[in-house]
Parts: sequence; structure tokens; C-alpha cells
Amino acid sequence: MSARLQFDGISKVFPAVRALDDVSFSVGAGEIHGLLGENGAGKSTLLRILSGVYRPTAGSVLIDGRPVTLANPVAARAAGIAMIHQELQQVPRLSVAQNMFLGHPVTRGGIFVARREQQRRAAKALAAMDPSIDPAAPLGSLKVAQRQIVEIARALLDRARIVAMDEPTSSLTPSEFQRLAQVIKGLARDGVAVVYVSHKLDEVFGICQRATIMRDGAVIDSVDLKRVSEKAVVAMMVGRELAQEQHRSYASSDVMLSVRGLASATKVRDVSFDLHRGEVLGIAGLVGSGRTELLRLLAGADRATAGTMAIDGKPMRFATPRDAIAAGIGLVPEERKREGIVPLRSITSNMALASMGVFTPRGMIDHTSLKRAAADKMKRVNLRPFLLDRPIRLFSGGNQQKAIIGRWLAAGSRILLFDEPTRGIDVGAKAEIYHLIEELAAEGHAVVVVSSELPEVIRLADRVLVMRDGTIAAELQSGDITEEAIAAHAIPQTQTPAAWQARQ
Amino acid sequence: MSDTTLVQPRSEFLRGVSMRDAGTLIGLVVILAVFGALVPGFFAERNLINILQQSSINACLALGMTLVIISGGIDLSVGPTAALSAVISASMLVAGIPFPLAIAAGFAIGLGCGLVNGILVAYVGLQPFIVTLGTLSTYRALALIYTGGNPVLGLPAGFRAVFNGSLFGLPLAVVIVAGVAFVAWIVLKKTPFGEYLLAVGGNEEAAYIAGVPIARTKIAAYMISGLLAALAAQILIGRLGAAEPILGNLWELDAIAAAAIGGASLMGGKGSIVGTILGAVILGAMRNGLTLMNVQSFYQLLATGLIILAAMLIDRVTRGRG
Repeated sequence: MSARLQFDGISKVFPAVRALDDVSFSVGAGEIHGLLGENGAGKSTLLRILSGVYRPTAGSVLIDGRPVTLANPVAARAAGIAMIHQELQQVPRLSVAQNMFLGHPVTRGGIFVARREQQRRAAKALAAMDPSIDPAAPLGSLKVAQRQIVEIARALLDRARIVAMDEPTSSLTPSEFQRLAQVIKGLARDGVAVVYVSHKLDEVFGICQRATIMRDGAVIDSVDLKRVSEKAVVAMMVGRELAQEQHRSYASSDVMLSVRGLASATKVRDVSFDLHRGEVLGIAGLVGSGRTELLRLLAGADRATAGTMAIDGKPMRFATPRDAIAAGIGLVPEERKREGIVPLRSITSNMALASMGVFTPRGMIDHTSLKRAAADKMKRVNLRPFLLDRPIRLFSGGNQQKAIIGRWLAAGSRILLFDEPTRGIDVGAKAEIYHLIEELAAEGHAVVVVSSELPEVIRLADRVLVMRDGTIAAELQSGDITEEAIAAHAIPQTQTPAAWQARQ
Repeated sequence: MSDTTLVQPRSEFLRGVSMRDAGTLIGLVVILAVFGALVPGFFAERNLINILQQSSINACLALGMTLVIISGGIDLSVGPTAALSAVISASMLVAGIPFPLAIAAGFAIGLGCGLVNGILVAYVGLQPFIVTLGTLSTYRALALIYTGGNPVLGLPAGFRAVFNGSLFGLPLAVVIVAGVAFVAWIVLKKTPFGEYLLAVGGNEEAAYIAGVPIARTKIAAYMISGLLAALAAQILIGRLGAAEPILGNLWELDAIAAAAIGGASLMGGKGSIVGTILGAVILGAMRNGLTLMNVQSFYQLLATGLIILAAMLIDRVTRGRG
């Protein structure tokens, strides 16, 4: 196998920090190569060099053995490099075909866009991957997984020889991932070199042949994935052994939150359950099964159209999150950037947002007590670096998440709702968040964890509700929580006998 | 993305609001120095006081504008709000109504105009630009219809004396606006409302989930903007002794310019009271200097435009990559 792509001694020095230090590895044509490392390890910087956004301070990128100068993104694209970003760079209102030809449309006489011809070529590129995608449909009407596929098809149209994918599956369901994996393997069969960045080790092991592990800007090792264990790879990423921890339960029998027949205008219908003091209740189910919508109802972010909620036996009705917060409920949302943080504001301000009343004894904010509380809560969640006045956007995802958890500690919330608590968070911070959730339960908080990662649910939950089509399909007690059991209840049974009879 | 965040820890940390204000201050010093060198008597005490007085009305509006911009909105209706407030106060004064009452009525008009803007933005969910573009015409039309297009003349001397007085050797208007600026600074730095403004403008969805009262915060910002427009109107008619229904034409643009020069981001979530005041004085000093140099008004307009663009360019360059 010739090295289609080779990084040769790449270093990148920013004014304060050496982001990459003598990075060398190569990816062969037809190889799917994993790139692993915690946040801050240098993966994104390396990808930015590959896509022409940054110039390396030293070293060079070689394609098919020849050094190339990637002065800007256009040059990188011309060299046959395609980037598939974590947050897709597409225009939702334009059609699939228009998006695929964005920036270099097919024209008639250089003036008019040849829309039909674009659609024909787009359809041809998509046919092998997902024939159900209509090139004329607005891109916004597609699911995230399909949009990923459109992006890959676009790379093919560009005749890319190298495709770099940054966390392509962070929001996909297992079956969507399978489809995407097939597409990626198809790319490799056509001789494309694929660089695949993901936090999900099982995916990397499933799809890649080799992987390079980075830490603190340097390559730790390039390994053959058939010959190493996941545990060894994690140890290389983190720089220490992470103990595999067992689930511990602190659940009591006092009912803290009681939900009966809850429904929303959009998705949730007839949901009933009890949540106990000290309990971690897992909610599993496919994306779109109504898990996030249920949490939003509980947090007052959406209004319930039917059903009742009671906290400590007292009936509650929430018009806004403000009401729910006053009742002791806090939501740690799935989309941190969109619903969690105020990016320009400091850690302290972000933390205090839900509890301004506590720090405002007489109309004015008591900055002394606010600072003390921030120091206290952020020590508790182990914020790193410990810079409370620094804008939150400059922190890693894991530390942003810790600050949001601190927000609810400051507000004195007793019921904490986590939606995908470790999405986009690296392995080390993940373990910390798990510990934190356990500690909260041990202190008598009641916790709900929605997660698509089944190992996470199994690791954390005392009890699991499996959602399907907006309602609870099954309840699994601690002994019965297995990946198989959850999957069996989560997948819609389109051909149940009842449905079949009804159709006759 | 996460990699780059670790890459520039210190510079970004230091470059807080106060650094931005220092930049605006440097801009002001440069402009003062240039005019001081070119215009004899520019630094005379009398002229410096003049500059402050000429800047005070725009500064007053710009303070309200800054709060609205921080909340992620914009208020294009400040000029017509001022006009409506002015003609109603003025006609009450001319009718012999005691001036505290007439001033209070003017303020109430300002608050009312802001309330309408705020409700349309916060509860109806219309875009601030369009809402205040609509009320810009509506309020102006109301002022014109109310007066039949004629100025209200002959304001009582007692009323005029209030706003033309001076305190500590400074025109009262300057003292009032300085007081308002101080209160605005306190509000932004030390009250929950200030935090809420920054959060709503910085990320409305996140602020909502964190329990921030979104609608109330926005409405309050527009009401403050309306109130300060009314205050500016009272100062102006006190100075002129008459209220014209076309008063305040294009005020909104100067106010936005002062806020932007001072570091407010039209994307919301960012802005500075100190910066806005400095921005208003920059614009005032420049106009004063150019007038003293007998520069034609066309060129004054050109200079204003270039200052705004230069300020934004410097802002962009010093901030580096977005």
C-alpha cells in the first residue's frame, strides 16, 4: 500500500502554545485511519492544517509521496482533500443538489446554473450511498445522517483522494451509523484515504484498520487496531489507566417527582413514572423517540398538554423553566452550545444565571458572595483551568458541562435532568462527569439521565425507562439492564400482530 | 475547535471589556490631539464644555440603545419617540399645565413607545429591526398628525430655565446625562437585570433554559430606550424653546454609531456603557472640530462615516479570528 497521505514532522506553534509537536504518520490509499485523542490533543489543529486553514510552523504534508502546499482551503480542495465537519457546513434552504455544487455550480455558458444537470449528477453520486435521498429536496428536510451522506457524496463529486471526517457520528443512531459505515467503507474501496476522528472507540475499532493516538500535540503511537485492546488505547489517550468502575446505587424509596399521563403537543404521550430521592433514572430509546421532549416538559421548557406532575406530593404546573427551577428542577441540555452556555460570559456569570436571586440581597449583586459561591461550586465540579472570570467559550466541552452542572448546584436544584451528559466530551472528563452524577445521587439528589450510549446508561442508571414513539415502552430494573434488553424495547415493532390484524 | 481554545489562553483573558474601553479612549485621545493641533482654541474650557453639551443628547439616546443592542435587539424608533414626547410635553406646557406634570407626561410617552416595541418583539416575536422600523414611521406620523406638522412654540421660561441651568460649572444637561450613564453602568455591572440582558443577547435559548425572564428583560430594555429618548427630547426642547414634530430625524443612526464605536456588538450579548459614552464624545468632538475648521457639512458626514468604519476595522483586527 503506497502512502496516499503522509504527515512529515508537522509542528504548529501559536504565540503561547505549541499545539502540534513533530507529528508524523501516514495513511494508505483505501485505508480508514482513526485519529484519537482527548480534547486539546491536537486533532483539530492537524485537520485544520490538512484542510488549509492553518499553515504548519514546520514539517510538510505529502500526497502520494509529493509534498503539497496547502495555503488555503481552496488549495486543499484542489489537492483532492475533502473535510467533513462535525457541524455540517451546509445551507438548509437550498436543495441537496445545490448544496453539493455550492461554490462551483455546473453552468450553461458560464452564466446560467444548469439545475437539471446538477440534479442528475447529484443523483448519480448519491445512488450508491442512499438512493432514498432526493437531490431536489431542500437539504433542511433531511435527517442528520442523510446530510452526512450528502456531504460525503459532495466530496466524491470533487474527486477527493483524501477525506477527513471530524466526529461524523456524534448525533447518529446505531442503524444510521451502520449505513454511514458502509458508505465510508465504500469510499475506501475506491482508493480514498480516510482520516476518521471520533470519540467513540467502539466505532473506531469497528470501522478503522489502524489508528494514530495523539496526546498534548504529539503522536503517542500509530497502532494496528486488531492487535490492541480498547483499554490500551484509552490509556494511551489519557496517559494513565482509567479504572473500569462498577455501578453504585443510592436510591431510596421516597418519591420525589411523580409524573402521570404526561403529554406534549408534539411527541410525548401518556408518560407516567416515579423518581426517587438518590436515584439515577436512565431514559433510553432511539433518537426521535421523545426523550429530549420529555425532559423539556419536566424542565418547563415546553408546556404539557395533558397529565400531572408532583414534587414531594405537591402538584406542579410549569409555564416556563423559571417555574421549574423554583420547584427545584434543573436541565443540563444536550446541545451545550445552543441551550447551555452564554459563550461570551464568564464561568461565574454562566453559573449564577439561574440563581441571581440568591446573590442579590438588596437589588444589587453581592459580588463577594457570588465569587465565593463560584469558587466553591467550581472546585466541587473540578473545573480546569480554574479561571472563573474567563469566558466559558474558551473552555473544553467537558469543563463547560461542569460549569452548567455547577449552575444547578448554585441554584439548589434537587432534581437534575441530564440530556446526553457526555456528548462531545472526551474520555477523561467523561469519567469525572459520571462520578459527579453519582455523588449528586449519593447526596440525595434525584437524577434523570437521557443517553444514546447504552454503556453509559448501564454504568449510571439504577433503573431504565425505554422510550418508543413518545411513550414508555418498558421499564428495566437494575438486574435486567442490558444492551440487548434496551435495544429490544427501543426498536419500533412495525409488524406487531395487532397492527397486522388492524390492516386486514 | 477545542484545540485552538487552549492555544490562546492569556491574550483573550486579558482582553475583557475594560481593554476594549481603553481602545475607545485611545481613539478619543487621538481625535482630540489632532483637532487640538489643527484648531486654535479647541482645548479652551468653553469649547470642551461645548463638546460635552453637543454630545449629551446623542449620549443619552446611545445609552438606551446600548442596552437594547446588548439584549440582541435594535431600536430604530428613538428619534420619533423623542419627537412624540416633545410635542406632547410642549403642548401641555403651552396650555399652562405645570411643568413637572408635562415632563412626566413626556416620560410616560417614551415608556409607552418602548413598551409597544418591547411587546411586539418579546411576545409577538417579530424581528426588532422590522418592529422599530414600523414604529419609526408610526410614532413620527403620530407626532406630525398631532401637531398638524407645525412646531409648538413659546415654551414657558421656567421650563427652559430647568434644562438650561448649570451645576458645578457644567451645563445641567451634561450633568443629567452623566448621572444617567452612572446609573446605566451600575445596572449593567451590578444588577441581575444587567446579567439577564447580557445572557439574553448572548444566547437566548440558553438563558431561557437557565430561567432568565426573557420577555420582561427585553421589554425593560426597550422601555429604558424610550424613556431616555423622552429625556433627550426634554433637554432639546428646553434648549430650543420649541418642539418640532420632525425633531430627532436620524438620531437612531448616531446612537447606534456611538454604541458600536464603544464596542457594542449588533449580534447582541456585548456592549459597554463607558465605551458608548466615549463613542458619543468621539462623534461630538469630531463634529465640533470640523465645524470650527469651517469644513462643509458634506465632509463632516464623510468623516463620521469613516470614523465608524475605522472603529469597526480596528475592532476586527485587534480581535483577530472570529
